[in-house]
Amino acid sequence: MRRRVLVAMSGGVDSSVAAATLVERGYDVIGATMKLFCYGDEVPDRPCCSLDSIDDARRVCERIGVPHYVLNLESAFGRDVIDDFVHEYAAGRTPIPCVRCNTFTKFRDLLRKADALECEFIATGHYARVVNGELHRGSDPAKDQSYFLWGIGREVVRRMLLPVGELTKPETRRLARAMGLPAVAEKPESQDICFVPDGDHTKVLARHLGADAPALSRGSFVTSDGRVVGEHHGYARFTVGQRRGLPGGHAEPMYVVEIRPATREVVIGPRHELLGSGVVARGMNWLVDDPPAVGDAVQVQVRHHAPPAAAEIVRLDDDTIELALDEPVSAITPGQSLVLYDGDRVLGGGLIEVSRRELRVVGGRT
Amino acid sequence: MPQPIYLDHAATTPVRPEVLQAMEPFYGSRFGNPSSTHRWGREARAALDEARERVARCLGASPDEICFTSGGTEGDNFAILGTFHALRDRGRRAVVTTPIEHKAILAAVHHAAHEGAEERILAVDRDGLVDRASFDALVRDDVAVCSVMWVNNEIGVMQPVPELAATAKGRGVVFHTDAVQAFGKVAIDAGSTPFDILTLSGHKIGAPKGIGAMYVRRGTPCEPLLHGGSQNRGLRPGTENVAAAVGLARAAELAVEERETEMRRLGELRDRLEAALLERIPDAVVHARGAPRAPHVLNISVPGTDSESLLMALDLAGVACSSGSACQSGNVDPSHVLTAIGVPHQLAVAAVRMSLGSLTTPESVERVAELFPALITKARRLAAAAS
Repeated sequence: MRRRVLVAMSGGVDSSVAAATLVERGYDVIGATMKLFCYGDEVPDRPCCSLDSIDDARRVCERIGVPHYVLNLESAFGRDVIDDFVHEYAAGRTPIPCVRCNTFTKFRDLLRKADALECEFIATGHYARVVNGELHRGSDPAKDQSYFLWGIGREVVRRMLLPVGELTKPETRRLARAMGLPAVAEKPESQDICFVPDGDHTKVLARHLGADAPALSRGSFVTSDGRVVGEHHGYARFTVGQRRGLPGGHAEPMYVVEIRPATREVVIGPRHELLGSGVVARGMNWLVDDPPAVGDAVQVQVRHHAPPAAAEIVRLDDDTIELALDEPVSAITPGQSLVLYDGDRVLGGGLIEVSRRELRVVGGRT
Repeated sequence: MPQPIYLDHAATTPVRPEVLQAMEPFYGSRFGNPSSTHRWGREARAALDEARERVARCLGASPDEICFTSGGTEGDNFAILGTFHALRDRGRRAVVTTPIEHKAILAAVHHAAHEGAEERILAVDRDGLVDRASFDALVRDDVAVCSVMWVNNEIGVMQPVPELAATAKGRGVVFHTDAVQAFGKVAIDAGSTPFDILTLSGHKIGAPKGIGAMYVRRGTPCEPLLHGGSQNRGLRPGTENVAAAVGLARAAELAVEERETEMRRLGELRDRLEAALLERIPDAVVHARGAPRAPHVLNISVPGTDSESLLMALDLAGVACSSGSACQSGNVDPSHVLTAIGVPHQLAVAAVRMSLGSLTTPESVERVAELFPALITKARRLAAAAS
């Protein structure tokens, strides 16, 4: 009896090659495209998640000879991903909706569909690997997507198949052509967030919160010593480390160093004010059976594509972790993910709560 | 895997061998354009005229009242928009329909509203039957067209079209009925039932996709949607699909000939399937069960399941069903029909429509009666484990 796998297919090259590869390896493949939000008039055609993408995924499935289904996960996605995205921005943070989509939509809700279809495995086109039941970085450092996968259940990892995790992107495209999937082989990379029509997340916020919400209303630019140096049109337009849209007239280049939703202030400062020597994260999820403990040295990543930084765990409980960084790291941003690595192994991760400029007394709260 | 079971005849049916055979010459030597004056044209014209007469006979109509179309969607759009366009400057600007129509009607009504029509939606009861008081109240002398589907494609409810059409006629209102699911299931006679426009689709009765017909009673005010020629008396210009029209005529004749025996056969099979499922899944809900229903539709919801997963599981087990009307993206949303008849959300998202037809045998019904409850048990076990 062939082993059955549900492949989440976006219509893009990565998941298409994943599905085709699994067919070649002899799996009983079922393709599924998730419909995650409403394709209203206000959302023009998108490279990902659009009806066109559903059609592309279906064409690939027809080509490789497997059934294809469209799964409606709109209401769950709206609740778990879009609402959280809006809430996080309103709280002055910078969320990564893809992390929550992986945690809740793909590897929880879609997994339930897989269960209903008696699928032993679930597969995606992520650039990450499963090695001995543990999650590892993808082989291609330029494409590694393990950073976005820290939130999934540990028991789910053993059921994941990530066929393109062993490949580089050019190899994936080459395979797509070789497998007779030229239409998806040349598709452009989707860069933006699928439910943000034109890269302008403030439109989504305005739709959910109202255009006059505090996060989108006027506030002050201040420096860290409290001087008001200008006015902005909503703190949700900013993220820590951002340079674009800041008032000029400073001796050094200025960056957003903090967002204060309570007073609607956006704090700006020179580059050195971005540096953090410690970080606190919440909602920790461990992906290994032997998670590290206080005093252990680990490698951490505070954003996608950042080089791993050496750190020591200084505080740890069921939910929260605090790390001291060996070298200061720039632009540690609340709402982004903190992911802990041991080489290629993903140990776990959490949501960045705050960056510490100087390491304070262990157990202290800001 | 054992032989797959097709239980989705309300979505489409296979072309019958007799139909294919009847069409074949028109894909070969008899390829002419019926509008041409030469021998090839005459030959095609003769076949088309004959097809029109045969379809007319099946409906108790005159040949000049039959107009060939591309199918149900076109007929429905024509009935609403063509009539509204003809009557909007004559003091009739309202369009009346039910909330359980096919999207072809609902979207056309919506479009008419964009063009200035007043949209009126009839109340229906929990089985989908049109509420008579609502009908009396809404179908007034300011109405251009009233459209009520004879047999509902999702739940099978049969409306009292003869009575409704008579009431509408008394108020000078054009009455349209979408008979796409009704044809071959109920007796249709334009001579005794005063509907003005009726829509038919070929592929629901063993003719190919892409052909349909409208009955348009003589004198009914309506304007064409397409322009460009005098075919179909100018009502639907464009070179006629001769082969498919011949196929439709053959399929319609067969459906009328076999109607009584086939309906008895399907009714028995449906009732047997329904009884078996209700016995094995006591809390299952069969929709429109309290109303007169066409014998080929069984729409069932099992609490605590979802149709999306069930349909996939059924498909993987070789059984083809549907959650309602098939949609372009293959996407499954809660049915507007079930929502309109007041089915709670949790049941609406669990609905599975089984529709019987020519391919349905006692053996296939028996197997589904075994398989479906087994899948339900499995789905419920998973749902319990997940919560």
